[in-house]
Amino acid sequence: MNLDFKKIELFAVAIYSLSSLALFIILAPLISIFLITDLETIDKILISDYRYTAQVYSAFTITLEASVIATTILLLIGIPLGYLLSKFEFRGKEVIEAIIDLPLLTPHIVAGIMILSAFGRRGIQGIFGFGGVEDSLTGIILVMMFVSLPIMVDTVKAGFNSIDIKYEYIARSLGANRFNVFKDITLPLAKNSILAGYILAWARGVSEVGALLIVAYYPKSINILIYEWFMVYGLKYAAALSVVLLSLFILIFASIRVLTR
Amino acid sequence: MIEIRDIEVVIKGFKLEIDYMDIRDGEYMIVMGPSGVGKTIFLHTIAGFIRPDEGRIYIDGVDVTRLPPEERNISIVPEDYGLFPHMNVYENISYGLKIRGYSSREIINKVTKISQYLEINDLLHKMPSHLSAGEKQRVAIARALIIDPKILLLDEPLKSLDPRLHIKAISYLKNLREKLRFTALHVTHNIIEAFYLGDRISYLSDGRLVGTYTLKEFIDSEYGEEYIKGIRELSKMI
Repeated sequence: MNLDFKKIELFAVAIYSLSSLALFIILAPLISIFLITDLETIDKILISDYRYTAQVYSAFTITLEASVIATTILLLIGIPLGYLLSKFEFRGKEVIEAIIDLPLLTPHIVAGIMILSAFGRRGIQGIFGFGGVEDSLTGIILVMMFVSLPIMVDTVKAGFNSIDIKYEYIARSLGANRFNVFKDITLPLAKNSILAGYILAWARGVSEVGALLIVAYYPKSINILIYEWFMVYGLKYAAALSVVLLSLFILIFASIRVLTR
Repeated sequence: MIEIRDIEVVIKGFKLEIDYMDIRDGEYMIVMGPSGVGKTIFLHTIAGFIRPDEGRIYIDGVDVTRLPPEERNISIVPEDYGLFPHMNVYENISYGLKIRGYSSREIINKVTKISQYLEINDLLHKMPSHLSAGEKQRVAIARALIIDPKILLLDEPLKSLDPRLHIKAISYLKNLREKLRFTALHVTHNIIEAFYLGDRISYLSDGRLVGTYTLKEFIDSEYGEEYIKGIRELSKMI
């Protein structure tokens, strides 16, 4: 019995130690970036020095605009796709699921080159001759959509999958056709997953930088600005801007957690 | 009248066969049989959730085999009642009427009438998560009956009730049926439910409908004997 007890203790210690190590990997960079940043630099880039503030507010505006447009379009196309993959059986479904998850595994620079070749001057833009993708807001939106699509679709699909089929059966027996069931039953019951999909996809889009370096360096989004400041001024200003961005993210996620509790 | 002819359903290697069954208007038909014999598959086939591989289902002589569930006018009460968790009791009960395009006034009148019948008029603004099992059962029955279905399918609707409530619920269903005279197909394992509520009993065994019996015929059959034997043994133990 004693031996068993010791074994259990050892097991618990191992679990706690390894879990702490996992947390440390996230917490160490998070805490240290706050520690190396001084308030004076933050004041300079956000309030007092126009050379920096103009760039920061412009980059934030562009990032917010592009990310909200990208995620809203993704919501409109991601819900039907998630529903299709959750509720319908058809040939080639697994292939489509694998294709949707491809952006998760694609190196970010490669994703940028793929987007440029498909939608740039040598792709659809060149063929149809419509507005620019390279170095444009459209380019940023396309990049954000490409990298965020799997997160949106997978989260929404998981939400649809988690709904007990009996509710849809009962609604149909009461006279609802497929569309009414979708509108009145499936969609409201999946609303938390849809909201989670929207937030996660938005966050993923905002955090992209690799593909943006290739497709749309200009207009400068916030991550491009952080990258540029790091290359030009070193860690000090890049870290200060990163802290501002991180604080915003933490605030948004904490508020959502509280609101959806 | 509902007629089921030569139905064959194959799902994941399981085969259900019903050669013939009829349920007359106003009749309360009980379906019994061991677990895993295909009783729920049978109900889902009648409701239109599962399309049979062979055979035909007729309602008042009209072939509904290929009709989607929403065009059959058959309602169902599942084992755990399946109340829509995001709608309150009023919204649950009125859903079928709203879908059918009834006016708000008609909906209010009908919901008020049926909720008085089922003694749930004080629950209308409650969410399903705040109801007891017995209350959920009444709401589910109200939601199913308000559309005036051709047949009400009940899939072990009293299974999750504790013994005290169970007896009460059987007697409640019996009274309700006498008041409203609806046609029902009620799946159960419970012989007391079957004898108290049923007009006839259909028995499924090994994926086949082996017969439809009056209560007296069922007691005399080999399947009924098993149940009676079980009750005798239980009473000896007590």
